[in-house]
Order: sequence, then C-alpha cells, then structure tokens
Amino acid sequence: MNNFYLAQKKVYDAIVVGSGITGGWAAKELTERGLKTLMLERGRPVEHRTDYITEDMGDWEFKFRNRGDRRLFEAEYPKQSQCYAFGEATRHFFVNDKENPYTHDPDKPFTWIRGYHLGGRSLLWGRQCYRWSDLDFEANARDGFGVDWPIRYKDIAPWYDYVESFSGISGSVEGIPHLPDGKFLPPMEMNCAERHVKEHIEKAFPGRKLIIGRVAVLTVPHQGRERCHYCGPCHRGCSAGAYFSTLSSTLPAARATGKLTVRCNSIVHSIIYDEKKDRAAGVRVIDRETKETLEFYGKVIFLCASTLGSTQILLNSSTPRFPNGLANSSGVLGHYLMDHPYQAGATGEIHGYEDKYYSGNRPNGIYIPRFRNLDASSKNPNYLRGFGYQGGASREGWQRGIAMPGLGVEFKKQLRQPGQWVMWIGGWGEHLPRYENYVELDPVQKDQWGMPLLKIHCAWSDNENKMREDMAVSAAAMLEACGAKNINAFISENPPGLCIHEMGTARMGRDPKTSVLNAFNQCHDVPNVFVTDGAAMTSSACQNPSITYMALTARACDYAVKQMKRGKL
Amino acid sequence: MNRREALKRVALLLGGAISAHVVNAVLSGYRPLPRYTPRTLSAEQNELVTTIAELIIPTTDTPGAKEAGVSQFIDLLLTEWYPAKDRDRFLAGLADLETQFQRKHGKGFLQGTSSEQADFLAKLDLEAIGARRARVKELPFFGMMKEMTLVGYYTSEIGATEELQFRPATDRYEGCLPLESVGGRAWAGVG
Ligand SMILES: Cc1cc2nc3c(=O)[nH]c(=O)nc-3n(C[C@H](O)[C@H](O)[C@H](O)COP(=O)(O)OP(=O)(O)OC[C@H]3O[C@@H](n4cnc5c(N)ncnc54)[C@H](O)[C@@H]3O)c2cc1C
Ligand code: SF4
Repeated sequence: MNNFYLAQKKVYDAIVVGSGITGGWAAKELTERGLKTLMLERGRPVEHRTDYITEDMGDWEFKFRNRGDRRLFEAEYPKQSQCYAFGEATRHFFVNDKENPYTHDPDKPFTWIRGYHLGGRSLLWGRQCYRWSDLDFEANARDGFGVDWPIRYKDIAPWYDYVESFSGISGSVEGIPHLPDGKFLPPMEMNCAERHVKEHIEKAFPGRKLIIGRVAVLTVPHQGRERCHYCGPCHRGCSAGAYFSTLSSTLPAARATGKLTVRCNSIVHSIIYDEKKDRAAGVRVIDRETKETLEFYGKVIFLCASTLGSTQILLNSSTPRFPNGLANSSGVLGHYLMDHPYQAGATGEIHGYEDKYYSGNRPNGIYIPRFRNLDASSKNPNYLRGFGYQGGASREGWQRGIAMPGLGVEFKKQLRQPGQWVMWIGGWGEHLPRYENYVELDPVQKDQWGMPLLKIHCAWSDNENKMREDMAVSAAAMLEACGAKNINAFISENPPGLCIHEMGTARMGRDPKTSVLNAFNQCHDVPNVFVTDGAAMTSSACQNPSITYMALTARACDYAVKQMKRGKL
Repeated sequence: MNRREALKRVALLLGGAISAHVVNAVLSGYRPLPRYTPRTLSAEQNELVTTIAELIIPTTDTPGAKEAGVSQFIDLLLTEWYPAKDRDRFLAGLADLETQFQRKHGKGFLQGTSSEQADFLAKLDLEAIGARRARVKELPFFGMMKEMTLVGYYTSEIGATEELQFRPATDRYEGCLPLESVGGRAWAGVG
C-alpha cells in the first residue's frame, strides 16, 4: 500500500516554504528557470488589490477612528500592537498573538512581529533598502564575534543589481564606499527642513552625509507597475503596486511561467528526511483549517518561512542522524539570533521655514549612513561596529493641540495652521552575534496545530546599550549644529525583535562544524535544503536587511538550478 | 475636489435622482445630526459633554464638534475603550464640574453664559495641561475631555476634510512649497 502510494505520488521540482519577501523571490527565480514549484504558505490567501480592504478608508470610517480597539489589542495582540504599523487599519495583516503563541524568559522579552498570510510581511515592510559592503561582510573576521562570512561584496553585488532592477528602488547615487550605490530609480525629494539639516550636518561634520532614503517604491512606472501616488498608508496594501511586495511583483512573475502551484493554509511542520538517500524528500504539512496532515515531495526545498519560522521547521525535523534538528551537526542551529538596536536618537524644531509646507505623503524618509568605526580615525572606544540613522522632518499637526493651552475660536484657528517643523533622527544599529542569544523548541508547550512553541532567549549586550547611548548623543549634537530648538534626545525601552530585523539562527559559514549553511545558503549537511531568509545571516550589519535577503535568495536559486542540471542535487 | 463639487457631481451622475431638497440642504451646510442613544452617558451628561466639546472646537466657517458628532465618539470610548477606572474618573469629573459651576455662579453649567462657561473651562484647561506636563498618570477630567474632543473632531470627516485638508489634489510629493499654495491649512494626517 505504502509503495503504491509512493509510486503514485507527485514530486515537484522544488518546494518553497513561505510567500513573504524571500519566498516570493524563490518562487519567481525557480519557476523562471523551468522548475515546477510548489509554494506552501501557512496563512490565508490574499488577493492583490481586492483584499486591501482598508486601503482608501478615512479615519472616520473606522469604528475607533483608526485609534484601535484597545481592549481587543491588549487581549489578543499584546506583541503585535507594539509595532508602529499595527492598528485598526492593518490588524488583518498581523498574527493574532493568542492564536500564535511563543515563549521567552520573563525578564528577557522578545517582540516577534509576524504576518501569516500570502505575501507575508512584504505587505507591511517599511521598504528601506541599503546594500551591505565589505565593511559588513568582513566585520566578524575583523573583531572575532561570530564566524567569517563565506562571501564578500563582490559575490553578491551582481545579485543586488539583479533584484534591484526588478524590484525598483528609488534613491540617489552618492559614491559612499560602505553604502554602495545600486540600480536606482529617481530619488524622492527632501523637504525644506531636511535640506536645512543636510546642509548644516555636512558642513559641521565633514565626512557625514544626509541622503534621501533608498526605498522599494517606484518614482516612475517600472516593470508594468504604476509609480507612487504619495497617498501614504502603504501598510494597508497598495493597489497601484507602487511598492515592492510579493503580491505586486514576484508572485505575478512566478505565476506567469505557468509552473507555480500555491497552497495556502499549509503549515509546514517538518522536513521529511530520507536516511538512505541522505536527502530531504519533502515536507509534512498541517492544514491550518482542517488540521489534517499532508505530505508533499520535492527534489529541492527552499525554506523562506522567515528567520525564526525556518529555524523552527529545522528544529522540529529531528531524525536519528540529526537528533537536535535537521542539518544541525554543528550544533549552532537556533543560535546567534540578532536584531537591530534602535529607537534612540533625537528630535528638534527647525525654525525659519514657517511659510513653507509640503504636499503629498512621501512613503520614505532620510538616511545618515554609518560614520562610526569605519577606520582608525572614526573609532569609538566604547563599542564595536556602528549604526546608521533614519529620520525625517514634518510640520506638527492638530495633535499638538492636546498638550497646548487654549480652546474656542482662536484655538481652532491655530490648529488649522500647520505647527513647527520637527526633525527626528533615530539610529538603527548592529547587533553582535552571540551564542547565548538563541531559540529552541519548548519541551512541553505546543500550538493548536501540534507544533512545539518557539522559546526565544535574547537580550542586548553592553555593546548595543553603549551604541544606543551614542545614537542619542550624536543625534542631539547634529541637531544642535543645525540650530534646532527644543532638542530632545531619547532612548526608549526597546526589547529585541521590535526592529523586525530578526536574523541569524541558521548561519552561513565556511566551516560545517560552526555553521549550518554554506556560501550558497545550502545546508552543509543536507544539500537539497536551502535557507535563504534572515536565518542565514552571519552578522547583522546596521542596514535594513531585506534587500540582502532578496539578493541571497536569487543567488541561491541560480546556484541550486545549476547544480540540479549538473545532476549534483 | 471639495465636498460641494463632489455632491454636485454625484447629483449629476445620478441624473437628479437625489431630490433637490437633499442636495440643497447638504450644500447649504445643513446636516441632520446622526441619531443615537448614548450608552454610558445619561441624557444630561451627554448634553453637558456636547456643550463642552463645542466650546473647545466651536462652529466657525466650518462646523464644530457638535456637528462632527464628537459626543458620540466620546460615549463610544467611555463604553468600549477606556478601562473602568478612567471612565469613572471622567464621569466623576463631569459631576464635579457641574457642582463647582453651581457653587461659583449659582446656576448649572448649561445655564451659564458662554463667556462664563469658557472662563470656567480655561481654568480647568490650565490645570489639566499642568498635569500632563508633570506626566501625571491619571489625567484629570478635562485632560481626557480635551483629548477626546480633538481626536474625535479632527478624525471626523468634517474635521479631516473641511477644517483641515485630507489628501492633496496632486499625486506628487513636493517638499518645499509656499504654505499659501498648499491651501494654507494643515494636512489631517495619513492615519
Ligand atoms: C512594519 C515593518 C517594517 C519593516 N521595514 C523594513 C524595512 O524598511 N526594510 C527592510 O529591509 N525590512 C523591513 N522589515 C522586515 C521585512 O518585512 C522582513 O525582513 C521580510 O519580510 C523578511 O522576509 P521573509 O520572506 O524572510 O519573511 P516574511 O516576509 O515574514 O514571510 C514569511 C512567510 O512564511 C510563512 N510561514 C512561516 N512559517 C511557516 C510554516 N511553518 N509553513 C508555511 N509557511 C510559513 C509566513 O506566513 C509568511 O508568509 C519590516 C517589517 C515590518 C513588519
Ligand atoms: S504612498 Fe505610494 S507606495 Fe504607498 S500606498 Fe500610496 S501609492 Fe502605494
């Protein structure tokens, strides 16, 4: 009976687990190279355009005026509601924490922000895209934290070109060695206060630069997608397809090949490992709705279930040969979890432009590339590595009235006018890779589908804390050099995870004894399993990571297909 | 396109299917207040809240808090949003306002002249702002009242699209324009 079933079973050329930023890219690259591909997504289907149900709604059309259902959020979304993009208009693109639990040490909170649906967090992301350079790829080798990356900038540069050309990244060409230029569409415009701040910072601090953000939003029509309309609420979805998401970009391309099968509501539970062949044979799936167990078979498997999602699957795929998780002969699977320390910086009022205003909601801000620890002359003695700043200026709105004395006709008249120009800049910093920051499977607790819960152990070290102090102090100093008034330096409480740049736990490396993946995101131990999302990251740099995930994914797909054609997989 | 133009266009599109009366009534600024029965506020409390909200954001060349339905929003927050202790503090503060006004003027708040009312609230306002600046956890009644009024008003359709500007007419971003050329009013925000 078993044999009969096996003889009948359908074997896909490739299985892609997850449909977020990396899963979308894997599906596109594999199908375009001719592979019959099955994409498995644990969440519900989302249809581009039709399912952006809140896209055009004004605040008044939401029950709580888009301020959120506080009681519901506290009861069912205690983690997700900490994310700035979560709210009444976007709740349906975040997981319900009660239904999708995880655990952590009580005194070490970790905020795991997730979107389980077709498209994953590609619908929610902030779209900031910055290339890494050898300053980043060589960092571990230089100071000894983590293992050396098995690749350098030259290995990935053509793949940055490739994914940027398709995605459409708007930005300015700057010639900054440690923040390489890319294939950019025309940059967005800075407003008056930002131009003022740029000019003063660049004069007062030679070597520092303030540039417009590099963002996966189209400033001109591109690849059949419309340019941005500057409406603003991107997290609700974008019918114009002006920002890069799986649904606007990679999924249509993959579908156009006729080689893609998508199955939603399919929670990948574990990988089926064939001991005899020493290869993965497929995946075990639990249907989210029926809770039935299914199996799907594939010649090659791409794990793109997000950093912790992919590692959870590997940890849950123990076999006699791999008792501590599939492809974990090194013992480092689950370890070296990183995020980015952030939410430290400064705000200040910029005076002198009271008669000026802007029009349109620009879905982008400004960027101040890293200027610490680039070389001996920029060394900061207090910490290793560095951070970049994001920020922007806008004029205060009616909200300022809440803390402003007054009422009646005059008060209303004042609030009709825009308020002060306020500039904010906040750091995004590098998190050192450390063994003691790790995830494991909870030995007891399972979710309603029978998956062991992920148990997360993660905390900032002294290095990140010192760096955050510098983020605040340096930001205030720069605003001071701009003549800003009412400068307010801030360092907020910020548990790891909240930056939503969780990385590591199945790192790439040169040595199978100390890493899970090789230079092509391929498991050292199980060569037909690839992990191309953030789990693969060997260090965290300080740049927003998703464009690097995209480049690594496309590169790994190219490699895998070539290996298959040579009969090596 | 402003509301007037929008309505005219709708009327044209429907080929006059909207009665002239309705179109004229709306165009001349008349809007029947939405009917609802408050769930937490009593009829008297509701009238008090409606009056105070209108004193904070009065009708000028655009409608004020009353027409924007702010009291209904406040009743919703008191019923479904605030923890019970905040709701109770608000209601106690409302009762206290009435008592204090009685003591000072020998008549109920609703019977006061508008300048008596405004002066009275201005004092509460300064106290509440002081508490806010001192980061007092339990915001006094008027702090809650003012916050709910502003949120309720500026996130209403009237507040966002008539008093302020909701979305620009062009679909571009321009970062440094003369304020007057952008309509001279603040953007309501993206939400
Ligand atoms: C508000 C916000 C702002 C952000 N801003 C930026 C930014 O500006 N720049 C940047 O670079 N990054 C940003 N990010 C991070 C970015 O979204 C992620 O890095 C990116 O989406 C990761 O891609 P991924 O494919 O690994 O994971 P995801 O996009 O999360 O997709 C993973 C998919 O896998 C599915 N899945 C998980 N487990 C399973 C399973 N067991 N079986 C089947 N399917 C599974 C999930 O449902 C999901 O659809 C932001 C994120 C958020 C939420
Ligand atoms: S601002 Fe641009 S990218 Fe964002 S939703 Fe609007 S059109 Fe789309």
